[in-house]
Amino acid sequence: MTDVHRRFLQLLMTHGVLEEWDVRRLQKHCYRVHDRTAAVEELEDFINNINSVLESLYIEIKKGATEDDGRPVYALVNLATTSVSKMASDFAENELDLFRKALELIIDSETGFASSTNILNLVDQLKGKKMRKKEAEQVLQKFVQNKWLIEKEGEFTLHSRAILEMEQYIRETYPDAVKICNICHSLLIQGQSCETCGIRMHLPCVAKYFQSNSEPRCPHCNDYWPHEIPEVFDPEKEREAATSRATKRSLRSRQH
Amino acid sequence: GDMLQKPRSRGRPNSQAERERDWGRGAAEEAPSTSRGAGSSQEARSASSQGSRRAEASPEVGPRSQQQLELKVAELVQFLLIKDQKKIPIKRTDILKHVIGDYKDIFPDLLKLAAERLEYVFGYKLVELEPKSNTYILINTLEPVEEDAEVRGDQGTPTTGLLMIVLGLIFMKGNTIKETEVWDFLRRLGVYPTKKHLVFGDPKKLITEEFVRQRYLEYRRIPHTDPVDYELQWGPRTNLETSKMKVLKFVAKVHNQDPKDWPAQYCEALADEEARARPETSGPAPSS
Repeated sequence: MTDVHRRFLQLLMTHGVLEEWDVRRLQKHCYRVHDRTAAVEELEDFINNINSVLESLYIEIKKGATEDDGRPVYALVNLATTSVSKMASDFAENELDLFRKALELIIDSETGFASSTNILNLVDQLKGKKMRKKEAEQVLQKFVQNKWLIEKEGEFTLHSRAILEMEQYIRETYPDAVKICNICHSLLIQGQSCETCGIRMHLPCVAKYFQSNSEPRCPHCNDYWPHEIPEVFDPEKEREAATSRATKRSLRSRQH
Repeated sequence: GDMLQKPRSRGRPNSQAERERDWGRGAAEEAPSTSRGAGSSQEARSASSQGSRRAEASPEVGPRSQQQLELKVAELVQFLLIKDQKKIPIKRTDILKHVIGDYKDIFPDLLKLAAERLEYVFGYKLVELEPKSNTYILINTLEPVEEDAEVRGDQGTPTTGLLMIVLGLIFMKGNTIKETEVWDFLRRLGVYPTKKHLVFGDPKKLITEEFVRQRYLEYRRIPHTDPVDYELQWGPRTNLETSKMKVLKFVAKVHNQDPKDWPAQYCEALADEEARARPETSGPAPSS
């Protein structure tokens, strides 16, 4: 464990969840500060080394992927579920209960999304201080800002941060309702399902499994897979797109 | 990715799997499961030998497994990290209530282990705010660099600029300054006590409440003043996190001058540096 690793951990902790490209940037920054001459270790090994030290503290840097487009993301997660949790320290009792209600609706839903209306209708059942619907709307926005929930057109689903941090808790608390991906066997909130046998797969798992397969078939029942196959996430293409966006932005801003 | 979920070699204690976990219960709840069920595997002999010495019945304190101790230290480390992120000094009573629970008898050892881990793994040093205060803060052993701001996930604190200015004012004015003098100065920078600021929000609240609560500043009413005036001084956290010399260097940089251009303050800062260089006697161990 060197200062490179310590600074990395300190700064990683300021993010609830971080995309892989930004994690690499962070790693390089820490090397620049503490050990300019050293070769930057391969990220996977770098993280594994840190994780072996974190093991005795029951935390780890966990890697996951966004459920909609398969971007690799990282978060520092707690492995021992106790009452000391990041979320518990940032929110009041009734706010946490609102999250729990939203979580249950999301898990029970077919699409992995719960509508704002359905969540807000449960406001009277919350533990703790009474909360009005107007207030609950703002609390939901707070969850979005803090990366616990994602909002799409008035519906809410779990942010990759929540999935990474709470997978264990969710699997143990809702063992019957929970959906699992047939390919990676991890928790599934959003995904595609086979209309014949009902197995489910994450969109990025579908992309990888059916890559360059002209006749996609269900891995379980072999029936024709009826859904559109998404593209595998390509970090190179993503960076090109990001830099071209940035260049366009700076050109525009220079015009005045 | 992994096709199979590897079973974790470090299983969580069994008692937790049986109980209803509730991550959202928050700080108001009792300490988590490692403090209960500790007695389930202990021998009757040790229980009764302890019972005979104590008049009252206390929760069984038998041999705890290595794993339970490890988990307790892990919880304590997490608790301290989370609490410190809010920059509020951590009270020993809160630690005992929310984390330690039944492990109170070995609290000093747990705290020491937690402090070691915090420093080795994260580079944070656990220190007592003031001797015998029974409140703690984390000091960063790593020097912050400007480029950290580009890779951080939080705002860092854009407000630290304002804090540094106030700390500088206090030091340059002889370690204490009247609140009215602070605003006379800040007004020139476009910061007013009554006007909302784009970056600092409510500067009055920030300086007289937030920074005070975080123990960076002390804010005391000056008796017999009319209209009422207050004085501002450095708080205990400031002396732990920074130094007179660092603040003097900041002030010098702002004026594009050399710290030695203020000989009185420079001497004072030097003396402070020398005092710091002498071996410390205080550590993270809690005072009885």
